[in-house]
Amino acid sequence: MEQTELQVEIPSVLKQTSCQNIKDFDCVDYGNGNNPNPSENAISDKESYGESIAAFKVTNLERQEVVLISLPASPSGLHIGQTKLVLHSEKCENTDQNDTKNPYPQLAKQKKFHSQPILVRENGDRKVVHSEAIRDHRFDPFKTWSGRLERQISNLRGKPTQEPDIEAGPSEREEIEEAPGVDRYFDALEGPELDALRATEVSVLPEDEKWPFLLRFPVNAFGICLGVSSQAILWKTLNTSPAMSFLHISPMPNLILWWAALALILFVSFVYLLKIVFYFEAVKREYHHPVRVNFFFAPWIACMFMALAVPPSIAVNLRPFIWYILMTPIFILELKIYGQWMSGGQRRLSKVANPSNHLSIVGNFVGALLGANMGLKEGPLFFFAVGLAHYIVLFVTLYQRLPTNAALPKELHPVFFLFVAAPSVACMAWAKIQGDFDYAARIPYFIALFLYMSLAVRVNFFTGIRFSLAWWAYTFPMTGASIATIKYTMAVTNVVTRSLSVCLSAISTFTVSTLLVYTIVHAFVLQDLFPNDISIAITRKKPKFSKMLSHFRSSSADSKDFDSSISKNSEI
Amino acid sequence: MAQNQRRFNVTNHQIPIPTLHQSTTNTTGTDTGTSTRASKTASSSDLSILTRFHAGYFRISLALCSQALLWKTLAEPTTDARALSSIVRTIPSFAFILLWSIALLTLLLLCLLYLVRCFLRFRSVRAELAHHVGMNYLFAPWISFLMLLQATPFLQPDNRLYRILWCAFSVPIVVLDVKIYGQWFTQGKRFLSMVANPTSQITVIGNLVGAHVAAQMGWKESAVCMFSLGITHYLVLFVTLYQRFLGSDSLPAMLRPVFFLFIAAPSTASLAWDSISSSFDTGCKMLFFLSLFLFASLVSRPALFKRSMRRFSVAWWAYSFPLTILALAATEYAQDVKGVIPNVLMLVLSVLSVVVTLALMVFTALKTNDILPHDDPFVCYNIARGTST
Repeated sequence: MEQTELQVEIPSVLKQTSCQNIKDFDCVDYGNGNNPNPSENAISDKESYGESIAAFKVTNLERQEVVLISLPASPSGLHIGQTKLVLHSEKCENTDQNDTKNPYPQLAKQKKFHSQPILVRENGDRKVVHSEAIRDHRFDPFKTWSGRLERQISNLRGKPTQEPDIEAGPSEREEIEEAPGVDRYFDALEGPELDALRATEVSVLPEDEKWPFLLRFPVNAFGICLGVSSQAILWKTLNTSPAMSFLHISPMPNLILWWAALALILFVSFVYLLKIVFYFEAVKREYHHPVRVNFFFAPWIACMFMALAVPPSIAVNLRPFIWYILMTPIFILELKIYGQWMSGGQRRLSKVANPSNHLSIVGNFVGALLGANMGLKEGPLFFFAVGLAHYIVLFVTLYQRLPTNAALPKELHPVFFLFVAAPSVACMAWAKIQGDFDYAARIPYFIALFLYMSLAVRVNFFTGIRFSLAWWAYTFPMTGASIATIKYTMAVTNVVTRSLSVCLSAISTFTVSTLLVYTIVHAFVLQDLFPNDISIAITRKKPKFSKMLSHFRSSSADSKDFDSSISKNSEI
Repeated sequence: MAQNQRRFNVTNHQIPIPTLHQSTTNTTGTDTGTSTRASKTASSSDLSILTRFHAGYFRISLALCSQALLWKTLAEPTTDARALSSIVRTIPSFAFILLWSIALLTLLLLCLLYLVRCFLRFRSVRAELAHHVGMNYLFAPWISFLMLLQATPFLQPDNRLYRILWCAFSVPIVVLDVKIYGQWFTQGKRFLSMVANPTSQITVIGNLVGAHVAAQMGWKESAVCMFSLGITHYLVLFVTLYQRFLGSDSLPAMLRPVFFLFIAAPSTASLAWDSISSSFDTGCKMLFFLSLFLFASLVSRPALFKRSMRRFSVAWWAYSFPLTILALAATEYAQDVKGVIPNVLMLVLSVLSVVVTLALMVFTALKTNDILPHDDPFVCYNIARGTST
């Protein structure tokens, strides 16, 4: 297989037409000379970084020669004069190259622009292409060390995938490497979970294409662990509490749910760990998102739920060192987030307060409950005190609905159920610390009950909202309220409290089952359980021509028209 | 008085300040031309000390008096200081008396200076009362007196003179309470949401220290009264401060050390409730833990204090008092909960507070020029307000 490399400045495309066997301008041939298969990643890329290349292939019957012309066509305004021709031939399929310095002319190039975007693709060949030759570099800026890690790993595995370091413009690289300020998140996103892109904004990554799975895996996925493990606690309490013995619940549901929750936690943690390793920049952006940052508490809370829900047949007394291990990350995260609230600046509470902040508070109370269960005294009190103080602040702030607060949704949304979480767990923690369900525990319990009721009677307002994975996180407050009611029933046993416990437990179980059905449907039937995670792909600065963007988006123009008009406008 | 405002220098505090020339030459505020730092230095006279002096200097007395109290508490026979007791026992008792006397002298000197300033620069004092930082430091002398009273080796709590002195020092606190807390929710320009800043916690600390001393005297009702005043307003203030309506603009960067007051307020509340309920119960522990957490939170954010640490100023003295109060609370905690960790906490915090106070005294001795700087934003802001009214 000969490989020749020729780099020539092409003054005009006409020079190419003299080559033999030129197919259509946009077609790419894969090696069977008879088969003009126009294909591979002929997807027009609206906003992409770095240079763009128009792949242009010439195939030969005997030898495959690939002639590549790289033309800048992205709106990032690169010079038209930079055209490079690389000629090489090899047996492989589609290879592009735009860096003349590259001694290894094999491999893949990223953003490919065809001069006329034609969305024709051949699935079979495309798969071959992807697995062997082409690496999609559009997502490089989100990868750890901008993709260098992945290249290292590929090198280690022996694949000759040495590729040029794509020299994106310095401003563009900087744009990805620094996460946007919190103002940008509020400006660019809307919705109660800040996950919908406003019409005036553009995404850094292509919106109409499915991103790599890891990029689409949000930290909200830990919400599923929260939901399932809290159910395990509920069934354990139903089984073990003497006031509910009239139901004769067996220990089986607790056991099954506990193992299911364990499997889920391990799976989700593993996948997210992969995301941290391979897409660290995306994780950084999630951390800077004002709503998502609270979900970073979720893994530790889920682990604590697991420790609380451990079936008696597996372990009865847990060692205290588990508590210290689980509370350390929560403590560190808290220092960071509450400190940001106190010291003002960009992330002061009056600006970023939103119901998901309850997740950062609940961790304290769950830790206090677990520690008290284990018999510790001072540690649980410490976290209870800290949680209580900051809960009061958050509660007042959210109740005030400050006009400076941009993040609170105007309409009702399942996120409001998080209001119920903190008081219900706090009352259980206090009851455990004190030893009995005294008045200081009953007060938060009644508050939790009141908040639950005021949301439950408005349940008809919850319809018509787009399902998202974060909904799982909102089920654990309901379950928490049920468990608190059972504990209350243990202190005050009569018909009313018993029926209330049964009722609330039934509601929470029903909700979780419905959510399970929804999730399965979305995962396997509709296949959109993990949509593109737009909220991490916002631009660092407000895009120019944002009004024009909103016009184009709303008028439901073709993506191609959109692209061409953007290109035109950027060259003005 | 537009002429006053015309020449403003924006220093690195980013607050427009009038040139000092105006204040030293003519209180009616005629503009006397360009002024540079050199000319300011040249034209400062004794009187200018009074102008540059302000209630913030009582931080020094707060720090010294609380140190005296800490030393007294550690040396008490009823205190089981464990690791520290070996050190504390070796120090002769006259050293405590010396420390107490130094604290008393400093306090008296500062009070004297402030009285003179009241007579000679009444406008400045009025402006200070109106300033959202200055008005809180009016509590500071009374707090210092109360702590000194508590630390005195000469009087016992059940002594009649002791009680008279307590009344003498607490009445001004209550009067100031009525004025300032009343302003919070009634007066248009000085609503809490407009004036809240970390130094507002000094008002709360004043009430709590009064309650603490009263409970030790045996006057439980007055103690509970002042405690409830303090704790209610602390709740409101805590929420407001955390919400940070104004962001960090309400406090100049040089005054960032006052963030340590976040630590002082819950510790003082913990001490006060401890004396009222005669045991370090759950409420006290929770308040103590809260202040420990806030301490950890502030200590892990050194970037917050970077700008204020560039140059020595009297604001640095704001570090000492909260640390000392935290050490006192840790001492009480260690009395109640026996164990390794509480004792380690007590040891570490006490040592830290002593070291910090000593360092501050050394700095003050070495950099006397800076202790009365020429462009202290607080005082110049006062002057601007004072001469413009």
